[in-house]
Amino acid sequence: MAKTTKKHSKMTAYNNWGYVFVIPFVVVFCIFSIYPVLRTLWLSFTNLKVMGTSKFIGLDNYIRVATDKFFWRAVWNTVRIWIVNIVLQLGLAFLLMMVFSDVKYKFKGLRVFRLVYYLPNLIAATSIAFLFQTLLDWKFGSFNQLIALIYKLFGQTYHYVNWIGDPKYAGNTIAVIQAWVWFGNSFLMLMAGVQGINRDYYEAAAIDGAGRWTVFAKITLPLIRPIMMYVAITSLIGGLQMFDLPYLMVQASSSSYDSVQTAMMYLYRFGFHQGTIQTGYASSVAYMLFLIILSVSLIQLKLFKRKEN
Amino acid sequence: MKLKKLVSVILVGTMLASLGACGSSGDKNTQTSNATSEGTEQEMVSAGEDGITVWTFTEDLKTMAEKYTEETGVEVVVNIIPTADYPTKLTTAMLGSSCDADIIVGEPQMLDDFFDNGFFANLDEMGAQDYEGQIVDYVWERGKDAEGIQRAISYQITPAGFFYRRDIAKEVFGSEDPEEIGKLFADYDSIVEAGEKLKESGYRIFASDSEVSYFSGNEAWVVDGKLNVADCRTEYMDLVVDLYQKDLTAYANQWSTPWYQAMAGEVPILTADIQNYQDDSVNVWDADQFAEATKDLDTTQVFAFGLPSWGVLTMRDHVGDTAGSWGFCAGPAPGFGGGTYVGIAETSEKKEAAWKFLQWCTLNEDTANWWIEKSQGDAVSLVSVLEAHASDENPIYGNQHMYELFLELAEKIDYSKVTRYDQTIGDLWGKAISNIKTGAMTKEEAIDDFYDQVESTYAGEIQVER
Repeated sequence: MAKTTKKHSKMTAYNNWGYVFVIPFVVVFCIFSIYPVLRTLWLSFTNLKVMGTSKFIGLDNYIRVATDKFFWRAVWNTVRIWIVNIVLQLGLAFLLMMVFSDVKYKFKGLRVFRLVYYLPNLIAATSIAFLFQTLLDWKFGSFNQLIALIYKLFGQTYHYVNWIGDPKYAGNTIAVIQAWVWFGNSFLMLMAGVQGINRDYYEAAAIDGAGRWTVFAKITLPLIRPIMMYVAITSLIGGLQMFDLPYLMVQASSSSYDSVQTAMMYLYRFGFHQGTIQTGYASSVAYMLFLIILSVSLIQLKLFKRKEN
Repeated sequence: MKLKKLVSVILVGTMLASLGACGSSGDKNTQTSNATSEGTEQEMVSAGEDGITVWTFTEDLKTMAEKYTEETGVEVVVNIIPTADYPTKLTTAMLGSSCDADIIVGEPQMLDDFFDNGFFANLDEMGAQDYEGQIVDYVWERGKDAEGIQRAISYQITPAGFFYRRDIAKEVFGSEDPEEIGKLFADYDSIVEAGEKLKESGYRIFASDSEVSYFSGNEAWVVDGKLNVADCRTEYMDLVVDLYQKDLTAYANQWSTPWYQAMAGEVPILTADIQNYQDDSVNVWDADQFAEATKDLDTTQVFAFGLPSWGVLTMRDHVGDTAGSWGFCAGPAPGFGGGTYVGIAETSEKKEAAWKFLQWCTLNEDTANWWIEKSQGDAVSLVSVLEAHASDENPIYGNQHMYELFLELAEKIDYSKVTRYDQTIGDLWGKAISNIKTGAMTKEEAIDDFYDQVESTYAGEIQVER
């Protein structure tokens, strides 16, 4: 008995070392994740500007953000751009997934295609912004010049479209670029889902004489629903935090700025832009966005689950 | 099989689109990394133990630092940060206690935030008050924080006025005298009248309607916590709309090719559509393309440019053959634009050495005299030096005594009318004016939108009464 107790206490002592090993992670996690989240929450109830004294103002910041029409315009801009983007992004990824998962086609070179489609995702957002600013430049951009050339071939005159500077086009232009960047990522995810499906189902369907569309609709689609849900939710979370491309591509003085100012750009204006810095208010905007994203994600999750049932 | 071929073509097409764009982006990446490496070349460096470190956004302090080192032997390391990045970079560094600068700077609109956050050290403790009265009043006041403590001093003044063509003035108005021409610019109505008269004679009063922006109203934007849209603001709004809608300008955007060309003589008469990019047949940002596209257009000459005193240097580089036929006079309201204010970083451990450098740059008569020579015409802030140079003649401006007028204009600037909100609210007002003049909004809609924007931006801070 004594021997067992000794062995047990030795084991316990040995197990305690586990806590020591996770301490570095816990410390880093607390400093860089937990503390900023809690600190931002506290700041959202204060009137802090940048530094100096601040006082607790209760829910004032939250009431202000909830009643500010410019905040809601920014949220609407974000949603509008995201919808166009997600339709294109998932549509293209879905189409490619259908082609590559087709049991009869058996396309070769999936690895090469997968890599190539994913490449835009590896480029830094600043590079993409500069690249498309150059390509879509109103006067000198290759894109407009190419269209003008085509028009010319047919004896027509093309009136150059200001893709980034015109409020009518700027939002959709950014949505298309976002879709181009992310469709490879979505395709990769969907293909991973497809490859995880047991081949027996397809063989059984083939034996039963099921057609291409039946196989896709009855086997592939239902079985990749969890992956689709994952792609949709992560895309939504990422989409609602859209900042880099519209911020880098459209100047604040541009007439299209009001049509592409996203919720994150609105936050940045109050968080970091000289002359309008209101740290407390910016913190409440951050939490407001968090609540919006959380609510939309939960609704999305519920919808998918209902369909699954 | 046909379907398979078609799908293959589509797949390859999609792949090529990805690859093509990625290929192009490779070039772009190189450019970006070059830009970054330029940034790396300008990596923030610090001075040794006996030297001081400067964070600035202009070349001026670098030139001054070289001279200071030459005279005193003290090492001064200057880091130049682009103006647009400067506030963020300084704020981040100061908040993170990673700013090793001893000397920091700010433009007038940046200073209040910097002062409130405690970035600038108390210069009164270093003895700044001994110099009160030696610097032009508005510059001295601008360098004080809300409690009246001196935290920054500028070596320059930047009062605004109109640079005008004497030969055109004589032909159209019968006089080239700065005082007489000043009467044409004395109020907004007389500017429109002068503009109409000049147009009848084949000239345009301004290259762009931005020329009047430095004189946008001699009233504070915020009084006792309330937004103050004084009558002069709406009169200014009407002036800009009139200039634009009555075709009184040459429709050249400020700082664009035709705007600079207008300083040297004839320029093509553009249209409102070209200026607001509705008509894309003329590229105003490329000299060669602009010349080609406008060779058949009628031409005109521009009468005046509204600029701060540093406009002397801009004009000097662009007037070409019209040098000597320019004059300078006051505008309808006192105004100023820009200026570099120098202070000591609160975190500096070499405040004494930094104060000596700051004194040398901003409060030393020998330095000011040298700077006038070196900068070829910048207006310094030391009253004694401005007075000493009052009778200096500038040949580009028909030997006019520029420093005399600069000092006179600077002394009229009432600093109590300047607020920390001027930049943001002024920009929003400018946006409203732009919406009216181009017909995007009615005056009522634009002003309503302006009120909404101010209310949203400064909720709880500025009261908006419509």
